[in-house]
Amino acid sequence: MASLPDSITALIGSLGKLPGIGPRSAERIALYLAQAETGAVKQLAQGILDARDRVRLCEICGALTEASPCALCSDPRRDAGQVCVVERPVDVLSIEKPGTFIGRYHVLGGKLSPLNAIEPGDLRIAELEQRLQREPILELVLALGADVEGDATSFYLAKRLSRPGLKITRIAHGLPAGSGLEFADELTLSRALEGRREFL
Amino acid sequence: MHLAHLRLRDFRNYARLDADFSPGFHLLLGDNAQGKTNILEAIYLIATLRSFRGVGGAQMIRRGQSAYFVGGVVVGRGEHEVKLYWSARERKLSLDGRPVRKLTDYLGVARAVVFCTEDLQLVKGPARSRRRFLDLLLSQTVPAYLALRQRYALALRSRNSLLKQPAPDAVALDGFSRELVSAGESLIRLRAELVRKFSPLATLACQRISNQDEELRLEYRPSVREDFGVELAQSRAQERLYRTTVVGPHRDELQLLLNDCPAAQFGSEGQKRTVAIGLKLGQAEYLTGFHGAPPVLLIDDIMGELDAKRRAGFLPLLELARQSRGQVFMTATEENWPRELGGNLQRWGVREGTLQSQA
Repeated sequence: MASLPDSITALIGSLGKLPGIGPRSAERIALYLAQAETGAVKQLAQGILDARDRVRLCEICGALTEASPCALCSDPRRDAGQVCVVERPVDVLSIEKPGTFIGRYHVLGGKLSPLNAIEPGDLRIAELEQRLQREPILELVLALGADVEGDATSFYLAKRLSRPGLKITRIAHGLPAGSGLEFADELTLSRALEGRREFL
Repeated sequence: MHLAHLRLRDFRNYARLDADFSPGFHLLLGDNAQGKTNILEAIYLIATLRSFRGVGGAQMIRRGQSAYFVGGVVVGRGEHEVKLYWSARERKLSLDGRPVRKLTDYLGVARAVVFCTEDLQLVKGPARSRRRFLDLLLSQTVPAYLALRQRYALALRSRNSLLKQPAPDAVALDGFSRELVSAGESLIRLRAELVRKFSPLATLACQRISNQDEELRLEYRPSVREDFGVELAQSRAQERLYRTTVVGPHRDELQLLLNDCPAAQFGSEGQKRTVAIGLKLGQAEYLTGFHGAPPVLLIDDIMGELDAKRRAGFLPLLELARQSRGQVFMTATEENWPRELGGNLQRWGVREGTLQSQA
């Protein structure tokens, strides 16, 4: 049986490790790249190298950046009194999208997960404690996911970081804006009911 | 609700099967080991995504093959096409041609209740089998239940994993305790509510099929007596010793009492069987009342083992299924099928993994 050249097999192996790429896609991409124009392939390879070289975590908030501290941390127009705590660097982008949050960020790098052996020491909590001493932070907005681990981590942070003069809040969970009740699942609805607020 | 079409590929001893079923009563006749129960198993799989024989996907693949396919058309409120594919590497479930992302979106498309010899485990088996019975009935009637149950299970596993550590972080443990308590309290409330509504149905069903004056009573005995949070905190010393969570809904018991005595300990074999069938009849009636239409009834070879009185206890349910255009599948060998069910049924011959209509 004819088989693919070794270099292509190796490339398929590497591509297959990427997130969201299965064996079929890996094979298609590898075959495409092996036959594509040299210039385009070089550009892609250089792009990957450059991104890997330049991108790092911001020394203050832990977000992805090329220059540390990142643009958000060094922007004097951002409110230094509010810090939004998120799990992963991409979550910063999600919160930034609506453009309503004007404070700064702190990326934990995950959430407590005993089943995956992720403990408080594995998260950037000590860094957050240092920031609380150094920066004029008045409010921490906990914006972790509403799953079991996200909720447990939020509780952990609220307990450990609590100190006089610091307000700790949790983002609300409830109905997606613009949708009717019939599209919400029961767990979401019951939580939305628990977290109801006085209207006028 | 009924199954209008069943399609099997490499499932158990069926290389390929395509069969159309009308509403009503289907009698699957054949010798032992020809594949009668496998048909019921496939229908139950469509409804619950589990085998009632308590086995995993690998065991349902036809010998020598690497994957099975089970498909069906279910007619209830509207018509739905279900496709299920299982191999060691890949599982696919689609509803009306679209992949199913959340189980809660799928469960409820088809509902089935099975009567089989394994039901005896409900009475004789460990508390886990009775909790699973409650859980199944709740997930068939309360859409949020499954998600809550999964939340509880994750909180429990996380917490137990923390307790295994030499010196668990107390605040992290508290964080997972809160999640455990909040999901657990909902589970306890829903289970208590269910048992209150379900118990009278099981009692009546049992009376109908029992020979003596026996009264079945169901008692929900939650592991938590009053306040989950308080009792969890009080159990810390024990937790430290056993390194696991010792109170909570995962330790609940559903006590089955016959004339106020635990059926598992004091019942005769015949009584235990009566109780098991009573629970299943109750389940079918509860689902019928709740959804306004009976589930598909799957009766696996148990009629032959029952005496006339117990068989007669089935008749009202079967009659109800017939009247409301429901569907019943019953397996039997040629000698022992219950002839009192009359001629109003579709007979099928099952032989070596094939299904033939017998006019």
